Amino acid sequence: MGGLLSTQTNVLASAEAVSSLGTAIYVGLVLILLFAVLAMAKKGLNGRVFKNPWTQATEQLYLFIENMCVGIIGSHGRKYIPMIATFWLVIFVANVVALFMGFSPTASLSFNLGMALISIGYVQFEGMKANGMFGHFSHFAGPKLGGLMALLITPVIFVIEIVSEIIKNASLSLRLYGNIFGGGKAVHSMNELGHSIYVPFGEFLMPIKLLTVVVQALIFCLLTCVYLSLVTGHHDEEHGEDHGHGAPAHA
Amino acid sequence: MNVIGLGIASMGVAIGLGLIGFAGLQGMSRQPEAIGKLQTAMLIALAFVELVFLLTVFVGAPGLK
Repeated sequence: MGGLLSTQTNVLASAEAVSSLGTAIYVGLVLILLFAVLAMAKKGLNGRVFKNPWTQATEQLYLFIENMCVGIIGSHGRKYIPMIATFWLVIFVANVVALFMGFSPTASLSFNLGMALISIGYVQFEGMKANGMFGHFSHFAGPKLGGLMALLITPVIFVIEIVSEIIKNASLSLRLYGNIFGGGKAVHSMNELGHSIYVPFGEFLMPIKLLTVVVQALIFCLLTCVYLSLVTGHHDEEHGEDHGHGAPAHA
Repeated sequence: MNVIGLGIASMGVAIGLGLIGFAGLQGMSRQPEAIGKLQTAMLIALAFVELVFLLTVFVGAPGLK
């Protein structure tokens, strides 16, 4: 992990370094935006029909996240919605901040690593809650093998699974960091191209950055959902698998 | 020399992303009612392929400059 973090200083060598106080200020900015939007949405919650546009938009967001959780995890996925929705809101708002500002919390590897640690830790916690401590760790050991194979292969699988759980942290955080920070770097380099003729070429990257903003927030939540479904989905019966759609359509 | 390596890595990842998009679009056009499931699986695959390039950058780019 030390090597991972130490590469940051080298990659960032050409970029302006943002101190931890600066990161905290941007996190505060994101939180202010988030709470402002959610407070405006909460005002319209009382009636039977939501008339407040902020409330309507937030309802659509809730439906989207509920659809994602129930679609991937299954019918018991509804109880994980608060966590997934929190991840979605924080990452999405921080990515939108990254569109307009030179820096954002998601363009910092430390913030992303923190979020990935929370996500994977939550997955382990829910796995232990769903399968019990022993069941959760025996889930790492792969399929049940008999005799000599169990002695030879199961420890290897166990170690590999533990390592892959640790690597999941790095992969979640590096993906978000690389995309958001790399997008900012690309805009910066393209702005430098047109510097002598006063044309900000980098702003023409805005549409693809807008796509990245949504997709990266979606992928973080989606992968958390997938990890949750991997650790909690065993004791549940098969549901939602409509066989009519699984078969190829012979028109 | 390192820059060439980075270019080769990005080329491979671009081919992979293109294949995923190709297969995803083909599947969606064959079965438009399964678009939701296909998009989810496609995005997950895209994320994993993209990660390869990011790892290459973070392992290889410090050698640049």
